[in-house]
Amino acid sequence: MEAQGGTFPATRFSVIAAAKSSDPAERSRAMNALISAYWKPVYKYVRLRWGLDADEAQDFTQDFFTRLIEKEFLDSYDPAKGHLRTFLRTCVDRLFLNQSRDALRQKRGSGAVHVSLDFEEAERELGQCVRSGSLEDYFDKEWVRSLFALAVMRLRSRCEEAGKMLHFELFERYDLDDSDAKISYVQLAAEFHLAVTDVTNYLAFARREFRRSVLDQLHEMTGNEEEFHREAQALLGVSAKSK
Amino acid sequence: MNKVLLGIVLGAVLGIFDGLTAWFTPEVRNQIVGIVIGSTVKGIIAGVLIGWFARKVNSLAWGIVFGLSVGLFLAFIIAQLQHGHYFAIMLPGGMVGLIVGYATQRYGVSSKLQRV
Amino acid sequence: MKWLSDETLTRLQASVQCPDLSSTRYRALKFVARGGMGAVWLAEDVVLHRRVALKVLDVEDRTGELASRLEREALVLAHLEHPGIVPVHDAGTLPDGRVFYCMKYVEGQTLESYIVNTNLPQRLGLAQRIAEPLAFAHSKGIVHRDLKPGNIMIGAFGEVLIMDWGLAKITNSTIQESSHITSAGTPGEQTGFATAAPITSHGKILGTPGYMSPEQARGDSAAMDERSDIFSLGAILRFMLTGQSPEETPTTAPLPKPLNAICQKAMAPEISERYASIQEMSADISQYLEGVPISAYREGIVERGMRLLERHRVAVVLVLAYIAMRVLFILFSHR
Repeated sequence: MEAQGGTFPATRFSVIAAAKSSDPAERSRAMNALISAYWKPVYKYVRLRWGLDADEAQDFTQDFFTRLIEKEFLDSYDPAKGHLRTFLRTCVDRLFLNQSRDALRQKRGSGAVHVSLDFEEAERELGQCVRSGSLEDYFDKEWVRSLFALAVMRLRSRCEEAGKMLHFELFERYDLDDSDAKISYVQLAAEFHLAVTDVTNYLAFARREFRRSVLDQLHEMTGNEEEFHREAQALLGVSAKSK
Repeated sequence: MNKVLLGIVLGAVLGIFDGLTAWFTPEVRNQIVGIVIGSTVKGIIAGVLIGWFARKVNSLAWGIVFGLSVGLFLAFIIAQLQHGHYFAIMLPGGMVGLIVGYATQRYGVSSKLQRV
Repeated sequence: MKWLSDETLTRLQASVQCPDLSSTRYRALKFVARGGMGAVWLAEDVVLHRRVALKVLDVEDRTGELASRLEREALVLAHLEHPGIVPVHDAGTLPDGRVFYCMKYVEGQTLESYIVNTNLPQRLGLAQRIAEPLAFAHSKGIVHRDLKPGNIMIGAFGEVLIMDWGLAKITNSTIQESSHITSAGTPGEQTGFATAAPITSHGKILGTPGYMSPEQARGDSAAMDERSDIFSLGAILRFMLTGQSPEETPTTAPLPKPLNAICQKAMAPEISERYASIQEMSADISQYLEGVPISAYREGIVERGMRLLERHRVAVVLVLAYIAMRVLFILFSHR
């Protein structure tokens, strides 16, 4: 299926579909994609929601995704009934309520999670977040944060492949910069030895590709077009509310 | 109904009514026919003048003022001829003029519109 | 994975949301509102130096359904050139693949906020002004199907504009439902709308509860015609007169019987019992304002008398004053 005005993968990859595939490689790819997007939100959520300390939360997160794979939790997910992230959050809550903390400790080290989970980084990020609103909103926001972070990585890969690393560097310097003093296009042009119009055009390219990366990432996280549109609206709606 | 015609009809009707009220005055009861005729003619004259004014000037306020003035003036003439009773003649006369002035402005239809 | 702060996240979300207007004649100024299938942005037309509104799909429409709907909306607006219907200036596909159309940017208030400082005659006059563009649309074979206070804007000079024709039903076969529209990109590029399949809404419930007709609420698309809009206009009129939405329990004083009759006739559950046309309904509103009998309500003798008295109260007062004066003269002349 080819969209207007852009290129898209010939075959639509979806973690929901791939997680149920008979091909172990497909299933593994699906789970890794899912874990990459959700492990940090899950970790931070259980730290705040259930008051687990760093070690307990680490164990729980590992255990949760192990069970997700082994117990095939996704089989019971129905896109018509709600968002995938809400389903997963509910699974997290249910798992916690069904287990005691001692039982969690005994599970340490087991599991088939093959994605590198930098819990120290997650712990640092937890300290940097300013939480407002409900924990459910917090979980959703962390999911958006993960999604966008993965999209940034995807953008970097695409720019590398296309030989447009300069575009990515400009994007990183301007749109991902957290410093108080916002750099201007003129300053960027001087820094990278470019014309200002080039800076404008390169940034426009990078932002366009970033948007595509976000939506491609989102596509992978959804089971069908309807769910994708719903999630996209929810994603964009979050940004609309923040205006 | 056009404004002049409306003025004539109203002036005549009110004039007749005005004249008939003389029946309640025993001294002039035997002259009732003449009084009614005179009052009707006065009402028609007032109606023509006020209706004509309404054709020329489309203003409720000015229509009322003109009507009142015509009514009072014609009533004054009558009162002069009667050698007195100015208040009893001019007040109703003024009111009739006022009513005809209001009605021609409010309900009368411009003959220009009618032709269309 | 790079850590994205809250500020960066907000900035990136705004960037993702913002339509890609590069190589178009528009420059995005600010986000305005979100609708069912997309967002509306205030933009500047850099060629004509004027502000416009861009309605943009949220995402690239891979199945074509959303694009079809937006295209229909643009086509409907293009065929409805009336002062009371927001005009469309341009339509096409943006460089990022999203379908859009460009329309007049309306600065004003929605009906709900506008009527707060109005009296009854003003609200009735407003209802008549809403009826005018609707009657025009119906004469062109187009039914709005989503009339509600939120879709009616009152401009800075009191002009009424009916917005959001996204659910319109086209009953006029002469209006083409497919078109190739050159994109807003560089001249010569043909990235316009694909040929759109007709939208089938039978069985699907489209509209706003409280303002949509019974046939619309049950998804009976075939039964929907101009009288479905009359139902909605009746609900809007009731809202304007009572200040309460159709779903709220009535708490205000009851409406005058003729006005209540107008609303009831417009909102009759049976289609055949409603006004046959918007013009009929508007005529009844006019007649009510003039103080003459309306078709929707048969008044009793007493009511008729009271209405005439009310309508001609100055004349009645003058005549009564004259009679009273005459009576007083008669009484005093006998003393």
